[in-house]
Amino acid sequence: MKKIADFILKIGEMDRRWIFIIIALVVLLPLFFPIGLPIRPTDSTQTAYDAMDDLEHGSKVLMSFEYGPSTKPEIHPMTYAVLRHLFKNKHKVYITCLWPDGQFMAEEAIEEIAEQEFNLTYGKDYVLLGFRPGNEAVVKGIVSNIRKLYSTDARGTLTDKIPMMEGINKLADFDFIFTASAGYPGTVEWVQYGADPTGVPMSTGVTSIQVNEVMPYVQSGQVKGILAGMPGAAEYEKLVGIPGIGTSGMDAQSVAHVVIVLFIIFGNVAFFIERQRQKKY
Amino acid sequence: MTFGTILGAWVAVFLTLAIFSYLYKDNPFYKIAEHVFVGISAGYWASMFFWTQIQPNLFGRLWPASEYNADSFWYKIYNGLHVLTSAVFPEGGIDKGHDMHLIYLIPFALGVMMLLSVSSKLSWFARWGIAYTVGMAAGLRAYGFLNSNVIGQIKGSAMQFVGGDLPFFALIGNSIFNNIVILVGTIAGLAYFYFSKEHKGAFGKLTKLGIYFLMISFGASFGFAVMGRISLLIGRFVDLIDYSKPQYNHATIWILIAMIVLLGYNAFKDRGKNTPVSEDAA
Repeated sequence: MKKIADFILKIGEMDRRWIFIIIALVVLLPLFFPIGLPIRPTDSTQTAYDAMDDLEHGSKVLMSFEYGPSTKPEIHPMTYAVLRHLFKNKHKVYITCLWPDGQFMAEEAIEEIAEQEFNLTYGKDYVLLGFRPGNEAVVKGIVSNIRKLYSTDARGTLTDKIPMMEGINKLADFDFIFTASAGYPGTVEWVQYGADPTGVPMSTGVTSIQVNEVMPYVQSGQVKGILAGMPGAAEYEKLVGIPGIGTSGMDAQSVAHVVIVLFIIFGNVAFFIERQRQKKY
Repeated sequence: MTFGTILGAWVAVFLTLAIFSYLYKDNPFYKIAEHVFVGISAGYWASMFFWTQIQPNLFGRLWPASEYNADSFWYKIYNGLHVLTSAVFPEGGIDKGHDMHLIYLIPFALGVMMLLSVSSKLSWFARWGIAYTVGMAAGLRAYGFLNSNVIGQIKGSAMQFVGGDLPFFALIGNSIFNNIVILVGTIAGLAYFYFSKEHKGAFGKLTKLGIYFLMISFGASFGFAVMGRISLLIGRFVDLIDYSKPQYNHATIWILIAMIVLLGYNAFKDRGKNTPVSEDAA
């Protein structure tokens, strides 16, 4: 028993760089050799999917991109999956961005999904209104008069000349809001200044770290479901029926979690052994 | 594949590996990546802000093409600016679909005042701009916060506890038991932050229960944080794997080898000097 305790303590003193290497390996190996662990949609993902699936065909959906390259692996897969779902159901998608980098993320997503996969027409089926600085003031602007804020779209076309902008003057003219958010400004601001005051139903996809912050709005029904990080994206991909980047990363995610949990257990055992020995002497 | 795409991949790989190299220890590669990131972010944000807001929404409302009149004094100023830079002030006014709103001179002046903070003598002007921003943000946030975080959350915590079609217990989803847990957790959590009464006796027990609920919440936050970080790591690894393919001339492999050799050489040169691993590397 003493030998095992000594071994655990010795491992506890190991250089932290070994832990980095182990984590790198457990993330890398499943990417090369996928295990195919099952993915089961959680209630919150299912709620978000149902909310969008229940929209009548041809509904006007405002989709807001609030993330950049630093959180792309978590959010990008969910925007792909949601765009696929919306376009499959023939909805009209209006894209805004509260983050400057969000515009590039949106351009990449619409090029791949709207143009290459669905062969849709810009200005008729989807429009990229683009980024406007001002954080929550932008949401307030969209609530009161979207045309004042977006006199032109991201490509410089006057919004008055975009066919699908006809009848769109304020946030209440939309049927649904979906925000892909990685922080401030993002989901919380859309709830506070957009969805709650106008009553337009909204759903969201957020980074894992934001889930706890947004979950109270989901619990209270202010937000219809939530896609939580990469697993949320993988679950949505499963519901849409087209596996993507989210699904392929889930094996690595799961294995890495198991290893981290083992590290935590190991660290705690080492802590208690050490404390017990200190008491003894 | 174009040369630009391949070059972009090499740059992306270099910057990714340079940032990862900090896990080994602080080194010149990391410093390069850090400084490039800060510089590019600042430049990109400034340029984006100017071309999406200042030029179309501010200048576009001060000198709209729809009301262009070369003989008016106002547009003579514009034509003077046009001589300076025709990209920002194109000939014949700015055509962004706006009418003229001279009231936008106020935010323009406040913006200029903010920029004066770089001058030590005139920096006091910046206080006007900051005062406006703080006042506007506080007013704007007060309503949103009260409406969604206070009223919305109070409404949300008013749940069903008896009767109806709710099951008594369900592991996931709505149930009477889960609703009771949410109610008790909310009250106990709020009680913990009530400091006007000493946390003793029955109230002390309630606040202690509140701490347990808070700890569970922190645990969930930590779990989500780990999940997020692993997702980001997966994202970088997926890109690195992609860029190691022949169409990118094996960018990942070459840069990784070069970096290991150079860091190894550096470590060999510095042997004997006790350079600790950066404390905040993690």
